[in-house]
Amino acid sequence: MAGRGSAPTPIARMSSDPIISVDRATLQFGQFTALTDISLHIAAGERVALVGSSGAGKSTLIRLLNGTLEPTRGEIQAFGQKLHQLKPKQHRQIQRQIGTIYQQLHLVDSLRVIHNVNAGQLGRWSFLKALISLIVPLDVATATQALAQVGIPEKLYDRTDRLSGGQQQRVAIARVLVQNPMVILADEPISSLDRELSREVMEILCNCQSSQTLIVSLHDVDIALRYCDRMIGLRRGRILFDAPTTAVSSEMIADLYRL
Amino acid sequence: MSRPAFRFISPSLQWGMIGLVAIALSLWQAGLFQQTVVNLNGFPLLWRFVAASVHPDLSYDLLATTLQASLVTLAYAVCGTFLSVTIGAIAGVFCSEVWWLEVLRAKRLRYFGFHSVRAILAFPRAIHELIWGLFFLNIWGLDPLVAVAAIAIPFGAITAKVFSEILDETPRQPLLTLINSGVAPITAFFYTLLPQAFLNLLSYSFYRFECSIRSAAVLGIIGAGGLGYEILLSLQSLRYEQLWTFFYALLILNGGVDIASATLRHQLGCASRIDLNSHRPTKRNIPNRRIFSLFPIAIAGVALSFWYIQPDLSKIGSPRSQQLLNQIVQTSLPPNFTGMAELIPLSVETVAMSVLAIAIAASGGLLLAFPAAQIFLPGGLLNRRGKANLFPPVLLAVARIMLLLCRAIPAPIWSLVVLYILFPGILPGAIGLGLHNLGILGRLFAEVTENLEQPPLKALSAGGTPDSLVFLYGVLPATMPRFLAYTLYRWEVCMRETVIVGLVGAGGLGRLLTEQLSSFDYQSLIVTLGAFLALTFLVDWISGRVRRSLRSS
Repeated sequence: MAGRGSAPTPIARMSSDPIISVDRATLQFGQFTALTDISLHIAAGERVALVGSSGAGKSTLIRLLNGTLEPTRGEIQAFGQKLHQLKPKQHRQIQRQIGTIYQQLHLVDSLRVIHNVNAGQLGRWSFLKALISLIVPLDVATATQALAQVGIPEKLYDRTDRLSGGQQQRVAIARVLVQNPMVILADEPISSLDRELSREVMEILCNCQSSQTLIVSLHDVDIALRYCDRMIGLRRGRILFDAPTTAVSSEMIADLYRL
Repeated sequence: MSRPAFRFISPSLQWGMIGLVAIALSLWQAGLFQQTVVNLNGFPLLWRFVAASVHPDLSYDLLATTLQASLVTLAYAVCGTFLSVTIGAIAGVFCSEVWWLEVLRAKRLRYFGFHSVRAILAFPRAIHELIWGLFFLNIWGLDPLVAVAAIAIPFGAITAKVFSEILDETPRQPLLTLINSGVAPITAFFYTLLPQAFLNLLSYSFYRFECSIRSAAVLGIIGAGGLGYEILLSLQSLRYEQLWTFFYALLILNGGVDIASATLRHQLGCASRIDLNSHRPTKRNIPNRRIFSLFPIAIAGVALSFWYIQPDLSKIGSPRSQQLLNQIVQTSLPPNFTGMAELIPLSVETVAMSVLAIAIAASGGLLLAFPAAQIFLPGGLLNRRGKANLFPPVLLAVARIMLLLCRAIPAPIWSLVVLYILFPGILPGAIGLGLHNLGILGRLFAEVTENLEQPPLKALSAGGTPDSLVFLYGVLPATMPRFLAYTLYRWEVCMRETVIVGLVGAGGLGRLLTEQLSSFDYQSLIVTLGAFLALTFLVDWISGRVRRSLRSS
């Protein structure tokens, strides 16, 4: 509804300032502290890997970055704006520039693939257009192109739950490609894929436009070293290191997975 | 519970003992240990009734009457279902938690708004269709509109509640994902929750249709026409041959609707009633698109039904109706509290009746459910070796027909039949209610048994466990929790249905309610209704508590 001419302000500011910055954020779920004192700045076009053992807080950090979770202390800025002080409408406009691929994908199984892909651009559509498209799919060209990019254009009209796990993963990626955000967050996008597919998926994510920023959580350090230019190591909710991938030593990695 | 000495008493044991005590107390309340309840003089009459089942009246005139009455009942059910599903779909969205929390994002007002909508809907739901029917009868007079509205209003509220629960228990993450990528919440709602929940909503609508057809038959008794009306007339004039013709018609109608609904639900791969809330991933047998071809058929059916019964819609807003409604409102105020002392023993009677009814329904249902399920058939779950034997299929057919007979015949009719051999009181009412609900529970139990998850049972079987032990270690433990949950749900329904056996004099608050309604004593009626509502909410609360505690144990 509010899609036309969206958010000129954030884009204008991004060139000099960091695109996302987290300032001393702590997040607690009741007694349990999930993230402690996290600070980081990410510039446009960076390819950042979040690594760490399971339970280290990678998924939580990603959900903090896309505005789903609110920090208990500290603050998050995206495109120079404090994420949790925005009115719902502005908040939505910012969120439109942040696309997330979830570990569990969160696709709607009973819809056809095209609707799941189109879901990425619903933020720019009017309610009426969205409703009509559920009956007569609109903007087929965009969806087809995105599906071609992830290599499954022939699945356009299939039901999503008929696809294999790897194909569903691609649909989730295509949804984000259609959304065409400034920042792509991906939570363990290759955890359930074999090595061949993992490589393909990482290629797709990294071959997006160079201005797009990628933040991806990974359990596979080799993949992180190969595809990303910066690595953030998380251990028990704290940042253990934050360095260019070239500067990451095997000692640092060993330390990361030490119990 | 925290005392260590009692730790061996599990919640299920504890509630089981409470249940047995409640049943014993209810039997005492029914006068079982104090006076003679059986009227031996009535047995010849009962025998005449039973004997008439083998030679129903098949004359041309009566068959024509039967066909017409069946069509009327069916049309009431179709119109009632259509309206209640429409009401339910709209109200259901507005009283779902997900709508208030995620779509409206109402922060401060959300709990107030959410709970007030839910609370308002609890009232039409708690009042039985029959009371609605009698109420509308006083305003609109004898018109098909009465039957349709009497079904549509309470069923609409029930459907709204169930729809909202379905929406709330549909996985919410896809919705949040879209909302968090900046999609307007209302658009996200149509793209995620609705398609995800659609099959379950549809499945529940079919189930509602089954309930509507039973309700339409009951409403006939208050004069709305259809099979219920004809049955009551024949019963009162002791024409048993005619009575059985109508019974068989009800049997065919109910059986047909139940089979059609079950087949459709099975084809669509949607869950049975209680599985709606558990969301197991289901395998669908037919593609999604074919569902939509059902819609023109459904619309045509609804239009045809409205045309057939010709409800006088002008009565809804007519000055005469307005005037009568105003009159009722005026004469019902101020409430007359003089009869309060009488309400307490009647409330105890009502609860006792509902407890006895559900005890009869659950034990009878349990006995018939396993024979009625396909597990003993050759190649079925407990007869894998496929010994071709005539016994299981015959047993299955007999059990299913008995269940169908039980649920097809309305509870008040059963009560009237029971009254041949029992003295009036709450026991005939409880037995009537019990028999009717037995048929419903037994069918639900059988459905649960047939839909059991097969792999664990096959694993037992493959390990060389004899079938009897597979039943004991696999089937029973897996089905019992669901049986209990269904039984508790049904107890709530029994509580509301005590009203309809009250109509034939079975006692309790129901009798008082119907008496006050037909004598236009609205000042007392409003107090009785208040007591009945309070009792209904109490029973719902207890049932909900027991279900939760059994689920967590």
